[in-house]
Amino acid sequence: MTTSVISAESIAGTGSASRGAIELRNVSKNYGDVVAVDRLDLVVQPGEFVTLLGPSGSGKTTTMMMVAGFEEHTAGSVLIDGQPVDTLPPRERNLGVVFQNYALFPHMSALENVEFALRMRKIPKEERRQRAEEALERVGLGKMGGRKPRQLSGGQQQRVALARALVFNPAALLLDEPMAALDKRLREQMQEEIKTLQKSLGISVLFVTHDQDEAMAMSDRIVVMKDGKIVQSGPPEEVYNQPLTDWVASFLGDTNLIPCTVLERDGSEALVDLGGLGTARVADRGASGENYAVSIRPEHLKFRPEGAGGNGGEATLVSSTNLGATVRHRLTAGGLDLQLRELSADSACRPEPGGQVFVGWDPGRAQLLVLES
Amino acid sequence: MKTTNPQHRLLALLSVPVFLFLVIPTAIVVPVALNDSRYITFPPEGFSLAAVAGFFADKAWTSALTASLQSAGIAVVIGVLLGSTAAIGLHGRKFPGRSAVMGLILAPMIVPTVVLALAFYQFFISIGMVGSIIPIGLAHAVIATPYVYLTTRAALAGLNPALVRSAQSLGAGPLSVLRHVYLPIILPGLISGALFAFSVSIDETVMSLFMQSPGATTLPVKMFTDIQFNLTPKIAVSSALLVSVATIGLLLQVLFVLRRRSTARMLPLAVSAQT
Repeated sequence: MTTSVISAESIAGTGSASRGAIELRNVSKNYGDVVAVDRLDLVVQPGEFVTLLGPSGSGKTTTMMMVAGFEEHTAGSVLIDGQPVDTLPPRERNLGVVFQNYALFPHMSALENVEFALRMRKIPKEERRQRAEEALERVGLGKMGGRKPRQLSGGQQQRVALARALVFNPAALLLDEPMAALDKRLREQMQEEIKTLQKSLGISVLFVTHDQDEAMAMSDRIVVMKDGKIVQSGPPEEVYNQPLTDWVASFLGDTNLIPCTVLERDGSEALVDLGGLGTARVADRGASGENYAVSIRPEHLKFRPEGAGGNGGEATLVSSTNLGATVRHRLTAGGLDLQLRELSADSACRPEPGGQVFVGWDPGRAQLLVLES
Repeated sequence: MKTTNPQHRLLALLSVPVFLFLVIPTAIVVPVALNDSRYITFPPEGFSLAAVAGFFADKAWTSALTASLQSAGIAVVIGVLLGSTAAIGLHGRKFPGRSAVMGLILAPMIVPTVVLALAFYQFFISIGMVGSIIPIGLAHAVIATPYVYLTTRAALAGLNPALVRSAQSLGAGPLSVLRHVYLPIILPGLISGALFAFSVSIDETVMSLFMQSPGATTLPVKMFTDIQFNLTPKIAVSSALLVSVATIGLLLQVLFVLRRRSTARMLPLAVSAQT
């Protein structure tokens, strides 16, 4: 595997910085009685990296396929650069698409694969060869042009697919779980390379994944989808730290959900009764529902010296597991099971399981959310 | 071949008689055709190419051979066009009546040939299209189409649907998709389908018999009518000819598959390199 980082100048020519807006207005997709996508509104700004994140069946891939034109939407409208494209076939939408298993043409060499879009656009042979070679060069595969896809490793195939999707200077890039087939190390490397490439090209990206780490690492904005609807949308840190529902909180990683009763709300903060853990002030984004809980990520729960005051209370340590970089402690407090995660380096003098500890959290790290289930 | 494994040895021991049972009756026409006799006899009494020379000198027999090749040509061209486009058209599509359409395409394989023969005979009489090889070729095309359809469909099973979509997203119209995505993948299926179509037509007797006319008598029909009146070794010669055509076709196909495997799909590459 080559380790060169994809560099971006001229892979897709110039002038893509100001275009590439994608807009979905009230878009729905029904398969008979089944609603795959339900009245979706979504805008990808020019140059923005937006990730559709959700479990399988959440409608994220269907949404992308409707943008690409492979699926026809039942209602609503799709716009690219402000122009409705509802009646345009995929080939006229000018979008670069990278598919899950790359979908490289098996009988064509890497170079011929990259050339394909230029060939379809009737670009003279010399020019298209030169542009394709440059594109391959930029993804670090300058010498691999003559190889067939099956003679390339997964990561190399991925790069060819990327070069092929960018060589014709598309309005935007659609990536459908492009890293699903790669191993962890390579996946992380590709994430960084794609992100770097996207930034320097200034190209809009609509990215589909079910992997929350990938979404966190790459996105300007994460759009969390469930059952064909957007449940939350925002910058990665916001979605992670301020989930609106317990489902979003759990989907984006481990969390402690403490059922609570809301005593007061003022719009940005709420006073809640956490049962065994007393009352506390927590962050509030105004989510409304019938039942509420407070979410505290395991890494935001801290051991505190006895009698330190503030949020939290007494807990019993149940077990401690060293995970390498971090240690995971399981605790019970006021009849609740809690998880606390801290750096291994900080966990030197914790008591044995069964011992009494005090735990607490910074008020901004506890988020009031709606219990869906 | 190493047969160290006793199971393999047993398999070989059982396979050889079955293989011989299948091949000998077919191969027997070759010595009979090369027999030094004025009649069909077995075992052969001597070696002579007289019957072969006689076959090619006899205009009745050579025109029967030409008629057979013509009908096979029509059947292959039409069968390949219809069968492959039907397979591509039906590939990955779901619509009401899909199985009915598939059943209709495959029907000529199931309907008894004699029934088809009668139907075609009446049809071509009623539209006044008789007395040439064309109606026979068209009838053969109908029974050849399902074979091409089946082999193409089998080849298409290996097609990644995302390939079609990626070609479309890269700007390919329907014809480009057909040429750059479908054709390289269905080519082996098309070739074996064409060989099937050819051998189906060369072998077909009943329909050709119903629709025969002077100048439109195929080889099997000529053999069938002749064998009732004189047992000329030319019949054995034409049988040997048909067997060799079939064998050559089979070998070509095996060769193609082997070549494709070893040289990693050279053929579709050659096709795409020409563009």
